[in-house]
Amino acid sequence: MRKRGLKFYMSIYRKILIQDLKSKMSYRADFIISTIGMIMTNLSGFVTFMILFHNFPTINGWDYYHMLFLYGFSLVALTPVQCFFDNNWNLRFMVQSGDFIKYCFRPVNVFFYFMSEVFDVKGLGQLAFGIGTIVYAWIKIGIPVTPLVILKLIVFLFTASLFMIALMNFAAATCFWIKNSGYVMVIMFRFKDFAKYPSSIFEGIFKVIFTFLIPIAFIAYYPSLVILSPDNVPVLSWISPLFGLIFFYLSYKFWMLGVRKYDFTGS
Amino acid sequence: MEEAVVMKNVCKDFKVLNRHEGLKGSIKDLFSRDYKTVSAVKDVTMTVNRGEIIGYLGPNGAGKSTTIKIMTGVLEPTSGEILVNGKVPYKNRTENCENIGVVFGQRSQLWWSLPLIESFKLLKDLYMVPEKEYDDMIALYRSLVDIEPILHKPVRQMSLGQRTLSDILAAFLHNPAIVFLDEPTIGLDVSMKSKIRELILGLNKEKNTTVILTTHDMGDVDALCKRIVIIDKGMKIYDNDIDHLKNYFGSYRTLKLKLADDTWEEMLIDEKTTDVMDVIMEKQKEKKIKDVKILEISTEEVIRKIYEGGTK
Repeated sequence: MRKRGLKFYMSIYRKILIQDLKSKMSYRADFIISTIGMIMTNLSGFVTFMILFHNFPTINGWDYYHMLFLYGFSLVALTPVQCFFDNNWNLRFMVQSGDFIKYCFRPVNVFFYFMSEVFDVKGLGQLAFGIGTIVYAWIKIGIPVTPLVILKLIVFLFTASLFMIALMNFAAATCFWIKNSGYVMVIMFRFKDFAKYPSSIFEGIFKVIFTFLIPIAFIAYYPSLVILSPDNVPVLSWISPLFGLIFFYLSYKFWMLGVRKYDFTGS
Repeated sequence: MEEAVVMKNVCKDFKVLNRHEGLKGSIKDLFSRDYKTVSAVKDVTMTVNRGEIIGYLGPNGAGKSTTIKIMTGVLEPTSGEILVNGKVPYKNRTENCENIGVVFGQRSQLWWSLPLIESFKLLKDLYMVPEKEYDDMIALYRSLVDIEPILHKPVRQMSLGQRTLSDILAAFLHNPAIVFLDEPTIGLDVSMKSKIRELILGLNKEKNTTVILTTHDMGDVDALCKRIVIIDKGMKIYDNDIDHLKNYFGSYRTLKLKLADDTWEEMLIDEKTTDVMDVIMEKQKEKKIKDVKILEISTEEVIRKIYEGGTK
């Protein structure tokens, strides 16, 4: 058996991506409209945010620019799930129609092959928007720019995106067991909106749920604390990269278990 | 290694919830742990030799697809042994996939928006096909079928026939030891059907590829298969040469009578039990007969007889 390592998968992904972009460009109207739509979505989200926080200058000790930083952080952290794992949204249709089986006939990892099929360009606009917001808030707060802080930012952005990807993997994979898994996905996707707010506003049971059960607090709150309050970082923030990796791994295993357990009934 | 597929007493059961009727029943089902076991494949033993084209037949729901899914490593059998190219498929799914090609009737496995040639190039990388072998294969394709018109066409713009053709070519691209074709000619016109049959024969001859074909079209069987395996209700009911099958029903004749009102009447007669002449005479008493034809039984009728009555 010929070995397929990381290098192989990277090169395959790149090739599929190039082909995919080429064919997307060929639908010009579709491309333009979805780009405009993406800008509008981000803009309206931003405006809502501005209005809300201009009226409440601080929330639980978080001032406007800290909130803005958190907002930008969550936008960037949500980009990978949007760009690379968007096919999760199609999973249940493919499973129900039986078309999913085609992903099992190639000598590559099923999860990889399935996800490689869709690259959502819309995520790139969100990424630009998020980076802009982070930079703006960063300057206003006056966080010093050192290589170490930049490194921390990258590591913890990566961590944060792992949590979101894992959540969507879990939600999507429920379709292998239940029929109406669309609801699960929509609920999970809605939950991500809470990630934009400091989790310290949640009390008691909600805090426990959003930290350990549906860990959206890890999508922006805990990781961004490392940058925002470097003198007072909770332990949960420091161990979040490890948590993120474990959580992602578990979601991947759950997804693959679904593939194995599924009957593929009907022909 | 002469055998492409070896199956010994392979069984596959599915667990299905016992559904109750009505609203009350539905509520009951919500909490019910009342499962029944449905056997899709029962104790199937068979061997497929290298280079063979076998017809894998059976009525709808007989267990054909399930067997194919077991052979391709997608499903794990409940019990029994299976070896594909000398390996256990469900334990080595990716490895098994390198040596097989699959075409599932109307379901294209190609990248929908890409021109065929780009799909081919991606597949070449995915299967790690060496440049030389890839070029040889494309050259072979060119010699067997006119691929120019479809090569630069995106799959989504193709007709069903072109898409099927593309899918078959894609399945053979990495020169697999076995190719599974699940109803490859379904929904195609006559000329496309014969084109595809010729292509399959040509590839099988050139590359000595084992082909396992499921179909409901007896034209496919007549054109391609020397041997057929028939399965019904999960059990293998026939496994032998196609000629043997005809001998089995050799005493059967199709009698066609053209009646006075120019309509043809058709009937199947077993010469062992009934005399053809008797039937004609009997008919003649009722109506005038203008013409008589006696034909050998066709494969289609043989298969129908087996589905209906089974072989004893």
